[in-house]
Formats: sequence, structure tokens, C-alpha cells
Amino acid sequence: MNSFKQPTLRINQADLMCKNGCGYFSNADWDGYCSKCHRSALEKERQKKLSSKPQKMSGFTKFEEKKRQQTDKKNKLIKTPVFRKTASGRDSFRSERQPEAIHNPEADRLTVEYLKTYVLPEQVNKDFFKKISYLYSMIVTEMDNNKPIEEVAELAQKYYINYSTRLNGHPLYADIDPNVRAEMLEFFEKFVMSSAYEYIFCPPTTNDEEKDLIIQNRIRKLSWVNAYHLDCCISETSMEVRELVYTAITDLIGLDSVKAPQEKLACVVRCCQSVVEILKSCQEGPVSADEFLPALIFVVLKANPARLKSNILYITRFCNDSRLMQGEPGYYFTNLCCAVSFIENLTAESLSMNSEQFTSYMSGDSNVISTWESALFACEGMHQLTQHLSLMKDLTERTATIKSRAEELREKMQSLKDEIKSKVATVIEKNPLELKPPNELQLKTPERTHPALREDEGEQASNFYTYNLQNLSVKIDQKSKFKLDLVADQKPVEGGSGNSLTLINYDIDVSDLSNESDLTPEKRDDRCLLDMKEESPEARLPPPLEPTAHYSGFAKQGYQIPSIPCNTGNKNSDTYKNTTNNGN
Amino acid sequence: MANGIMKTIVGKLVILGDGGVGKTSLITRYTQKAFNLNISSTIGASFFTCKTNIDNAIVRLQIWDTAGQERFKAMTPMFYRNANAALLVFDITCLDSFGNMQTWAQQLKGNVVEPMVLCVIGNKIDLSENRVVSREEALQYANSIGAQYFECSAKEDQGIGQVFETISRDLIRLSSDSSVKSLKVYEGDVESALMARSTDLEATDVGRIEEPGISIDSIAHAKTVPSKCCY
Repeated sequence: MNSFKQPTLRINQADLMCKNGCGYFSNADWDGYCSKCHRSALEKERQKKLSSKPQKMSGFTKFEEKKRQQTDKKNKLIKTPVFRKTASGRDSFRSERQPEAIHNPEADRLTVEYLKTYVLPEQVNKDFFKKISYLYSMIVTEMDNNKPIEEVAELAQKYYINYSTRLNGHPLYADIDPNVRAEMLEFFEKFVMSSAYEYIFCPPTTNDEEKDLIIQNRIRKLSWVNAYHLDCCISETSMEVRELVYTAITDLIGLDSVKAPQEKLACVVRCCQSVVEILKSCQEGPVSADEFLPALIFVVLKANPARLKSNILYITRFCNDSRLMQGEPGYYFTNLCCAVSFIENLTAESLSMNSEQFTSYMSGDSNVISTWESALFACEGMHQLTQHLSLMKDLTERTATIKSRAEELREKMQSLKDEIKSKVATVIEKNPLELKPPNELQLKTPERTHPALREDEGEQASNFYTYNLQNLSVKIDQKSKFKLDLVADQKPVEGGSGNSLTLINYDIDVSDLSNESDLTPEKRDDRCLLDMKEESPEARLPPPLEPTAHYSGFAKQGYQIPSIPCNTGNKNSDTYKNTTNNGN
Repeated sequence: MANGIMKTIVGKLVILGDGGVGKTSLITRYTQKAFNLNISSTIGASFFTCKTNIDNAIVRLQIWDTAGQERFKAMTPMFYRNANAALLVFDITCLDSFGNMQTWAQQLKGNVVEPMVLCVIGNKIDLSENRVVSREEALQYANSIGAQYFECSAKEDQGIGQVFETISRDLIRLSSDSSVKSLKVYEGDVESALMARSTDLEATDVGRIEEPGISIDSIAHAKTVPSKCCY
């Protein structure tokens, strides 16, 4: 280390000396002491530790001290917590670990999940986690000691039974619902197994990994096997079936991505249910095991899931036996084991073909062009095409729905429009009654308004109110795209000689909408309103408000028309009617 | 306990026999009938559970169907591990199936350590005109392996209920045998919580109906609604 450092870093002579100042050269490995001082420092440290744990350290020999030094060194060099943990595990401080909680992201996640799912007394939780960490530390220690995995599995199984009896017998758990107890037992298993997963899944003490590779190679070699060879009725060409096979394959591959044995079992069950679906869509009647097993073998062959053997062995070892032996998961898992064992022991006979054919297929001398393969590899495009087709079909359906909905919407809009129309019509029906009186008034007023308007037309603008009023009306026309111009244009033609009359109409039409129908003749008014109504009714809505805003100007004219009150609204027209009636 | 039910027995029943002898039809016939008779049962693919009440006890049978093809014969022992009862099914119109059934029985005897309920079943008696295996022959064989013999027809639904009833009764009798460890006996009426449960699958997607909103507001203001129709 020093020789490596010297050329790059000039180290002072003093730095190379022992920290104790004894004059000897020091070494970085000895914490900057010389060999002698380092040893004495170690001795001191050991004495300190001995006083705290005399029973463990009493039998230390020189050999062990050396070993210890090495672990110390290791700790110094590698400061990651993971390494320290295993190093201390090798130090045979077994008792130290027990009270420790499990520190593991998986465990943290599960703790949160547990606390979220179950609201149980503090005592129960405490006991639950105590038992978990106890089993966990036991498993980890056993694994560290390179115990055969079978023994560890047996220990775990024993502990499941142990905890199950505790759950059902201990007074602490007496108040808990039996269903929750069963769930807790399951969660117990899930917790411990997920936390200790790194230790117990595919452990280095076994040859699980080798087995994985063997079965993987085997399946790869058997890639030519198709549904026909297995004598199962999967129609490989059907789009729907292929989709389901994909689902089954995905589920089976998912086996490796979850940790707890029951989660893995759930994957198996899902996969098998997909297989059942496949068979249901391929044949009539109930699905029997005679068809199920070959189909499952087919799916396993096509999926070639990673670490298949490891997963199966892991489930067999660490899944609670009572679950594995019975029930639907147990049944499907047994079927999966069967399928794997069939694949392992597959011969020409079991595929009902002669051995020469079989060997030639296995060695890759002759190729079977299976529809599945072509669908899977050669014709990926075909697959996509069919996928897109189904997507298109789906979209067409959606479009049709949208169309029909749009039609519906249109109808609704139409009805809304009709409703508005009819409402407007009723309003208009009401209004003419109120509009009648101005007719008589008109006889009086023209003399007054008419000259002024004529002057306006002649651009003399002597009466500035009428001028304003006309301007206003023109503005409104421009603003709201009225066809009022048209009406105004037609009127003179119709009216012919009644030039002055039309002019008045023209002005008053607008103010008419503001419910100020004072000066309009009945007939004209009606037609104008109807015309307007035929256009989009909404567009008409603003105008009634606008003239009222400028109404003050109109009111100024009040002195000219003595009998018209200046107020707006229905009430006003009523009073107005009265006054005119009175006048009559 | 409640309803005078003393215990619940959970047993595993395997069905063995050649392909095509009617194993699955036999179970489906029974479970469907059981379903109609208001006895709870779940109809799965080739795995069934059914529950029957007999003499103050509940017998929950887990019926494991097996593949009967010759090529899967080597794998069958996996299925009858820890089984408490076995149905050995053959077709009375097919001599081969009777012969194969005997090999199934031998294999079973050689692999199972705990005592179990055995039943030999001659299926398809509705086709008795084509019969090749005589009743006496079959009965004799059944006696030789310590099994009961039944003849039934899955098609005509003859004698199937009797088979399962006998098995249930025998299991109750077996449950008092201390040497039988795989047979689970619970006190009282135990709900399915204590049985190994199949996993609940959550729905992957929830359907939704989109209603076009029609109101004066949406017309006048032309509200922009985020489109939901495309991916």
C-alpha cells in the first residue's frame, strides 16, 4: 500500500512513524501504529469487549484473535451495512441479533401494509412482530451457517404450525375474529418469507441455479413442440386464443417477480385460470384434467419462465404445507409440477413420434414450422396486424356509439330549440295583447315624430334625440347581424306611399324588443318579431337589454308624448294601457 | 354446536382412470346436481369442492381430477399425495380401461401410506348392451383391493350421489382413525376461512359510461371537455 502511494503522494517521514512515538515505522493497516503498539492497542480494546461479554469471548486463542483482526479489517474497508451484517453474522454473536428488528425495505413495506390492514391491540402487534423477527433471525442464522435448505424449510414449517397453534390457543389472540387470525397466519408467512427472500430463494447451498439452467435449456430445445404434439386442442391460429395464451404466459413469468410463496402461488393460479379460459374457448363442455395438463405444458413450454425450478422448489419448501397440499392453489401447483416433470422426462414416446424424428428435432436438424412459432416470431407483424384489427374494430364500435350519441345530442338540441321557440311563441302570443293600444296612439304621434324623422333622413338632425335613436338602431343592426335591414327595406316597398310609416317602424322595431312597443303598429310589429324568431333565438337575446340602457334618452321625449309613462316593464305597459283606455 | 354439527371434515379425493372413461363428467354431474340441490359447491375447471352434511358432520370434499393419458401416468403420484379417498373409474364397455384401472390401483397402493377410502366405479351403464366387463368380475376385483364397487352412469345420472355419500360416510369413519393425519378434522362448522383459499382476483378495469352533458350552459359557453375516446 505504501509503495503504491509514495510516488504520487509525498508523505512526511514523521507521518510514517508510529503514533505512539516509539520510533518504529507505522503501517496504515495497523491504524498508524507500529506492529507492537498496534497489538497492545488491540489487546486493550479486546479487554474492554471482554468485560461487557465475558461468556462469549473467554475462549479466545491467538488464532481467533487473528481472525478477528481480519474481520476488523474487513469492516474498515467495506463500510456498507450489508457487509457488516454478514461479517458480524460470521462472528457467531447469534444472541445479539434476536432483539433486532428486521431492517429491510421489504419488511418496512410489509409493516406499513400490516398496520394499514389490521387494527389490532398493541400487545397483539408486538407479539406478532416479535415472532416474525424471531423466525427471521433464525432463518438468517441457519443460512449463514450453511445449513441445508431442507432443514431450514422444516424449521419454517414447524414454526408455521407453532404460530398457528399460538394464534388459536393463546389468550392474547382470543378476541380476534377467526378469519382475521387465518389472515394473520398468512401474513406472518408472507412477512418472514419476503424479508428473508435473499437468503432462502435459490440459496448457494443448493444447486437450484443449475437446475434452472438445465430446464431452461431443455425448454429451449423443445421450442418446436406444438399443440399438435401434445395432443391438446389449443387452436394456435385463433386470435382470441393467442391473446389468452399470452395472458397465461405473462402470469407464469410473473412467478419470478413476487416474493412471498402465496403470491407466487397466486400467479400459478392466475396462469392456470387463463389456461382454463383458453380451453373453454377451444372446446365445448367442462374442462377436464385430460385437456388441462397438456395445455399447461404447452404454456410452460412457450413461456420458458426464468428460474422456474428455483421458484417451484422455493414454494415447495417454504409455502405453508397445509395450503400447498389442498385447495385450488395446491391443485394447480401440483399440475405445474407435473408439467415441469413431464418436460424434464419428455421422450419421443410421450409426444407419440418415433425416436429418430425426435432426435432430429432435438438436435435442430429438422425444423417444425408451427403456426405458433410463426405467430410468435416470424409473423410478429401478423400478430400486430390482428391486434390492430381488433383495435380498429373496437374503435369502430366506439365511433358508432359516438355517432348515435351525437344524434341523440342533436335531437336533444333540436328539442331544446323547439322548446325555446315555443316559449318565445307563447311570449309573443302574450305580447300582442299589450301591443294593441299603441296602434291608437300611433294615430296621434306620427304628426310629432314623423317630421323629425324626415328631417333625419334629410340629414338635418334638428331633433337630436331621434337622431340618436336612429343611430342607436343602426348600431344594433350592425352589431348583432340582424336582418332588420331587410325588414326595413321591404317595408317601404310594401308600404308604398306610407313612407313616413315605414320609417317609424324601422326605428321603433328595435325599441320594441325592449318591451317599449309604444309607437309600433300592431301588424308590423308582429311580423318583425316572427322574422327575428326564425333566426337563432340566442342571437336575439342581447338586444332587448341594450335599448333599455339607453332608455333615458327616450324618456326625455316624454314631454312630447304626454300619455306615455317613462318606466319600463310590463307593469308600465299596463298602466300605459290604462291611460290610453282612459283617453278613449 | 349450532345446528347440532359436531365436526367438519376436509378431505381430498382424487379421481383416477383412463382418458375418456368419464371422470370429469362424473364430477361435473355430481357437483352440478349438488349445486341444484342447494348444497354449496364451486365448479372450477378440473378442481372442485363440495360440501355435504351427513350425520351431524360436514364433509368438505376437494375433488382433484387427474389426466388419464398414458403419457402422464408417471406424474400421477404427485396428485394423490395426501389424498384421503380415490375413485378408480373404468368404462364397462372398454376392457382396456378396466385393465389400466388395475395398474392405477397398484400404483396408488404402492405410493400411499395412510389408509384411504377406495371406490371402483364402472361408468357408462347406460351402454350396457355393449358391456364387456361383467359386474361380477369388477366386484371381485374391487373386493380384492379392499374397495367398494359401484356402477353408475354420468350421462343418465344414475348412482352417482350414492358414490359420494358412501365416500363421505367412510371419511367420517376414517376421521376417527388416529393413524390418518392428512385428513383435517375441525370442531364445529368451520367456514372456508380455515380451508386453503383460492386467491381473489381483482377486476383489472372498471367500466364507465360517459354521458354527454346537455345543458344551456354547455351550449352557450362551448366548454372544452377533455376528449376521452382515444388512447
